[in-house]
Amino acid sequence: MSLLLRRRFFWEEIDLMSLLDILLLVAALLASGLFVLGRGSFAGWLATVVYGLMLAVLAIAGLALDSGVAFIPSAMSFEILGRNLGWRLDGLGWFFALLTVGAAFFASWYGSGEWGRKQKRMGLQHALLALNVLAMLLLLSSGDLLSLFIGWELVSWAAFAIMTQGGGPAVAAAYRYMIYALAGAMAVFAAIMLVQNVTGGLGFADLQTAISAMSTAQVWVLFILFAAGFGVKMALMPFHLWQAPAYSETPGASSAFLNAVSARMGLFALILVLVKLTGLEALGSLAIPFTFMSAKSALMWVAAITMVVPTFIALMQTDARMLLTWHGIGQGGYMLLGVLVGTSLGTAGGLMHVFNYATYQAALFLAVTAVIHRAGTSDLDELGGLITRMPWTYVTLLMGIIGLAGLPPMNGFVSKWMIYKSLLDGGQPLLLIMAFAATLGTILSVYKLIHNIFLGQLRREHQHLKEAPVSMVLPMLILAGIGFVTGFMPGLALNITDIAQRAIGGDMLPHHLGGVTLATGSLNMLWVVGVLIGAIGAGALIFYLLGNRRYEVHQFDNYAGGHFLSADIRYHFSHEFYPGLARVIGPWYRGSIVRAEQGIGILVNVAGDLWQAVFRVAYTPLYMLLVVVLGLVFTGSWGIVP
Amino acid sequence: MNTVPQIIFPVAIPLIAAFLLPIAGRCHAGFGRIFGRAAVLVTFLASALLAWQVAGAGPASSAMGGFKAPLGIVFYADNLAMAFVLLLNIGVWLFWPSGDEDRSGPYTLLLTLLGGGAGLVLSGDLFNIFVFYEIVAVASYGLAASGGSAAGFGASLRYLLLSALGSSLALMGIALVYAAAGTLNLADLALLAPDVLRGPPGAAAFLLLLIGFGVKAELFPVNSWVPEIYASAPVRVTSLLAGIVSKLALIVILRFLVLVFPMPSAYGLLLTLGILGVLAGELAAYRARDLNSTFAWSSIAQLGVIAIAFSIPGPAGIAAGIALALHHAVVKPAFFFIADKWRGDVKLLSGGARTSPLVAALFVLLSLSIIGIPPLPGFWAKYLLLDAAFSSSPAYWLAAAVVLAGAVVEGAYLFRAAGFFYGGPQKGRGAALFMPGELVPAFVLGAVLLVAMFAIAPLGAYITSMAVQAADVPAIAAQILLGGN
Amino acid sequence: MMSYVADFIFMPLIAFVTGLGLVLMARRVRAKIERRVGPPVLQPIYDIVKLYAKKTQISHGIMHDLSIMMLLGGFITAEIFLPVPGFDGLAGEGDLITLIYIMMVPMLGLALGVGSCANPNGSIGISRALTAMLAYDIPFIIAVTGACMAYGTTNLIEIVQIQQAGGPASWGAATMPLLAFGGLLAVHGMMGKEPFEIYIAPAEIATGPMVEMSGKYMGALFIMQCFQLYTIGVIYTTLFLGGGENWPFFLAKVFAVVFISVAVTNVYGRFKTDTMIRWMWKWPTGIALAGLALVMAN
Repeated sequence: MSLLLRRRFFWEEIDLMSLLDILLLVAALLASGLFVLGRGSFAGWLATVVYGLMLAVLAIAGLALDSGVAFIPSAMSFEILGRNLGWRLDGLGWFFALLTVGAAFFASWYGSGEWGRKQKRMGLQHALLALNVLAMLLLLSSGDLLSLFIGWELVSWAAFAIMTQGGGPAVAAAYRYMIYALAGAMAVFAAIMLVQNVTGGLGFADLQTAISAMSTAQVWVLFILFAAGFGVKMALMPFHLWQAPAYSETPGASSAFLNAVSARMGLFALILVLVKLTGLEALGSLAIPFTFMSAKSALMWVAAITMVVPTFIALMQTDARMLLTWHGIGQGGYMLLGVLVGTSLGTAGGLMHVFNYATYQAALFLAVTAVIHRAGTSDLDELGGLITRMPWTYVTLLMGIIGLAGLPPMNGFVSKWMIYKSLLDGGQPLLLIMAFAATLGTILSVYKLIHNIFLGQLRREHQHLKEAPVSMVLPMLILAGIGFVTGFMPGLALNITDIAQRAIGGDMLPHHLGGVTLATGSLNMLWVVGVLIGAIGAGALIFYLLGNRRYEVHQFDNYAGGHFLSADIRYHFSHEFYPGLARVIGPWYRGSIVRAEQGIGILVNVAGDLWQAVFRVAYTPLYMLLVVVLGLVFTGSWGIVP
Repeated sequence: MNTVPQIIFPVAIPLIAAFLLPIAGRCHAGFGRIFGRAAVLVTFLASALLAWQVAGAGPASSAMGGFKAPLGIVFYADNLAMAFVLLLNIGVWLFWPSGDEDRSGPYTLLLTLLGGGAGLVLSGDLFNIFVFYEIVAVASYGLAASGGSAAGFGASLRYLLLSALGSSLALMGIALVYAAAGTLNLADLALLAPDVLRGPPGAAAFLLLLIGFGVKAELFPVNSWVPEIYASAPVRVTSLLAGIVSKLALIVILRFLVLVFPMPSAYGLLLTLGILGVLAGELAAYRARDLNSTFAWSSIAQLGVIAIAFSIPGPAGIAAGIALALHHAVVKPAFFFIADKWRGDVKLLSGGARTSPLVAALFVLLSLSIIGIPPLPGFWAKYLLLDAAFSSSPAYWLAAAVVLAGAVVEGAYLFRAAGFFYGGPQKGRGAALFMPGELVPAFVLGAVLLVAMFAIAPLGAYITSMAVQAADVPAIAAQILLGGN
Repeated sequence: MMSYVADFIFMPLIAFVTGLGLVLMARRVRAKIERRVGPPVLQPIYDIVKLYAKKTQISHGIMHDLSIMMLLGGFITAEIFLPVPGFDGLAGEGDLITLIYIMMVPMLGLALGVGSCANPNGSIGISRALTAMLAYDIPFIIAVTGACMAYGTTNLIEIVQIQQAGGPASWGAATMPLLAFGGLLAVHGMMGKEPFEIYIAPAEIATGPMVEMSGKYMGALFIMQCFQLYTIGVIYTTLFLGGGENWPFFLAKVFAVVFISVAVTNVYGRFKTDTMIRWMWKWPTGIALAGLALVMAN
């Protein structure tokens, strides 16, 4: 690594620290510095600048990784209890690190201006954001299973800390998250200890050795522990219940950050452990007895269900934030599905979707936060008609939802197209149909989002709202702009995912600036977007040049059923936006997983109560007798039956 | 191998001081208090010196009066024993009553506990162990009741009855052993055990000993006194009993297991009781509605985890158990100090983070460590446990699964309380403010925890060597027998 | 380069003209069934000119205007990506999946425009339109998926070539009849013909997307209808009827597809939204899934 850097860069003498060391050190200094600075108003701006610098460092690291360097090492390493702990950043970790720092950059920028000043304890939020970034960088650059687990726990708890900042319901939601995350972490813990048991080590190579040495049953246990443990973080069904409330209740800017990248840490770990280290062939050969399925296809179905069900739950939400977070869960399913297809197209599509999702989801969340900032609510039944009041926020939200729904010309379409195509080429029509169905549900859902907030009737009390300040509008517009540019020129994003894909291994996807050229159907977004814009221009010509002059009426000038409507009458069609659909699919929402969750809670409660009721000091002699007798029987029979 | 007569000091000095203290107290009230502290300090220095010697020159032993091992009273000190003797000393020093009460009773009892506890881990003889165990028991009854409340008296009376019942069972076990082997010296027993103590009679003896000593070790199911005592005894006593004395009893059980009863049924028995203890403790703690009983129940669970660790054959399990025990000895007393300030419903914690931010932060730190979150020491202790468990038979895999599931429940109830600290009503009166000054021992322990985090590597190496030493049966037996010469 | 320019101009123009013919056919067929004479040949053009020339041209803000541009722009783009005899346009640069998603752009544009009119009846219409889209698109994408699996490509040009190479026996309708039939039913819903015309609800002007559309806004919707009928007809022809060897055959197929729909539509009443979903998710979906199973089994 250092050799290559020497050849390529002029600061060859400065070789004391690798780029990764610089990154980690800067992140650590920033986090601790922000805790000390506390309420200082420039803390946010400082953090933003530092994130910008970190992005620059990452860009240099990216150049190095792109030139064929396998990974960037860290000088930091420990030897504890006979285990070596090391950190190094490879292409996969770099890709996620880039998104992490990028999301932190925009979230921090957004939080530094007017929005941050209205927040209670914004200094703490900035500090916790920096802590999250540090924890994620540690996770993403982990060099063995033990440092992976340590990073995993740090990320979980850092996220927990930032989730609690909302107070009230946020604390309850964060608590629920914490229990899920803890259970997942314990599963991962058990899994890595299983690996260590077989090979005596905790390096990444040991995992590969372990899998070839283990019996099928053991590999299954390992697979389930890893998939469930990491799956909790990316809210794979059925471990998804925590995510929407926890992310929704987090204060706006931090929430945009969490939404954009936090759940992706689970995806990173799944890719690392299951795809890169275990290998999809090994998963594919892990057959489920008496079925045609394997571990790989089972996980693909889980991903597909995660894609469809949360999307249709999102459709039924009445709060903008909840709607978006539920979609976030669903979008995670697309990414995992793409990666699991395993072809170069699928992997690239899944990874690109991670990138795209981060751009539009962050933009969407920042836009919704701007609405909350001005109108005071994100309840979809209490807004409407804000398009004239907050046009730039509207533009952001519009671009964001086009991306989320996966329509041209935004980047969300490209990655989804790649995933669809890989499913088709991979011979998975049913999964493809599920992906299509989820996209259709998304279109319905996001239209409701934009309609209920920005279209329709403007409320009297919102008549004099102003557009959000520049400090809020600019970051979100830039994010949406990135979404458009990488939709117009997906090659830019694919260059980035290439670095990650090379680290995962397998074939690379040949691509050009406009998309990919395949034997079975190509996509060139330069043409698609270019023609679309041109055609809309033609539509504009037809509209403006032909026909009579139009005249604009005021937003309040309206009628219905032959009567003029005044602004005092609330006629915004917002509640139960899809009644026909609700009548059909409404009864399908059984809430079985919610009830299963409640059931487990009740079980623990009853067991605890029962125990407390039965286990009293007065009865102890009885127990003593019982245990002695049972113990004598036990030991006796042990002696007789070896 | 060496014989060291001063091995008696950690036991003798506090016991003698305990006799003298009432007399000193009679001369002058204040003098008694200072005398007691001075005695602890002297004991500590003597123990530290001994520990230094043991660490340098290897395990030491000594026979009282020069009588040879099978007949005489033998003491045996290795790194493990000395570590816990030192821990006990530090604990007694740290949890020495801070009030300026003039009664010499508690001081005497504390010194007795100190001497008895040291004797418990240093004895190389089954009967002496029993005697010291009784000394510790008597001291703890008195200490538990020293709060002066009616509830405290009632609780310690029930504790006494239970403990006496346990002791009689233990005595029965000792009788069984003696009947089978004709000796009570641990070294002799270690040599004779393969012939005479294998099979059901030996297992029955171990069971009786386990139940008997298990009362102090908070072992399932003879730990039902725990919530009551911990709720009513003064916090310093609670900390001492939960944090340290319980571990001494477990160390004794470990010695029995390693030296005398290293057979599958014995290991299986301890494992079963450990698993049940974890389940019972965590579930009951989840339903507890005040901090104090939460920690009492969770203490049961923690000791169950340690029992599971000790039930894993080989040094790896012992190392894990020692690490867990040391960690628990640091964390649990600190917890009890915090709980002492917020007696009553857990909801009273509401807003505690605003009035006492440091305490809330300490609470979170301790919680994270005891759940086992890296890179805090609790994680490494759990790591050792899982490492040992997964390299043993599948029964231990089940135990590991129970421990991990228990950690989730633990996180649930600890962070429910933390939620009250940090959440709670945003307006109005928060939980009562109190001076961090009253919590000095808790903060000291928290600091120890943080320091330990940066010293995991040397600590781990030290604990592992300790465990290897404690598992080396022939060497121990030889050393104890040598002590007679 | 010149060929591209020709494609960009002629493909939408042909689509528009053909679309006018399709609209005319639909009205004529309906008139014949109702024993009326029906409109003259140029009636669709008269209608468009009339609407554009109207005095009442009410705009509800920029989004309302923009939606009209998106609506036309989306369909013009779709036409350029749809191969017809003699013109491949950009079909090589974006495949069938791209085309399907481009077709959703005008739908979204219409929805946004109607929403910004702030008329609750319009919003209700959009709610029904999107629900209907969810209903008919599920069987449609199953049919599309099955066809793509069978042809092994999503490239429209290749799909046409594969079918034309083997003659009518290799047409999608012959090789995968169940998919073709399921797709036809879905296409019927997609065209918004009875019994699936709840969202257009032409009989009740007070409720539906058109409620706030006056003058050239309505004219643009009319043009959109021409494009829509044409596009749907061509996609179906391309997928299942062998595409276009030459213009007469090609147009005959397109008109036939639309004719089937307009011929049967008049005997039906109107389904409620939920009835439509249930029906669409039961029959066409079931048939298409069966067809997919057959494709997968081969």
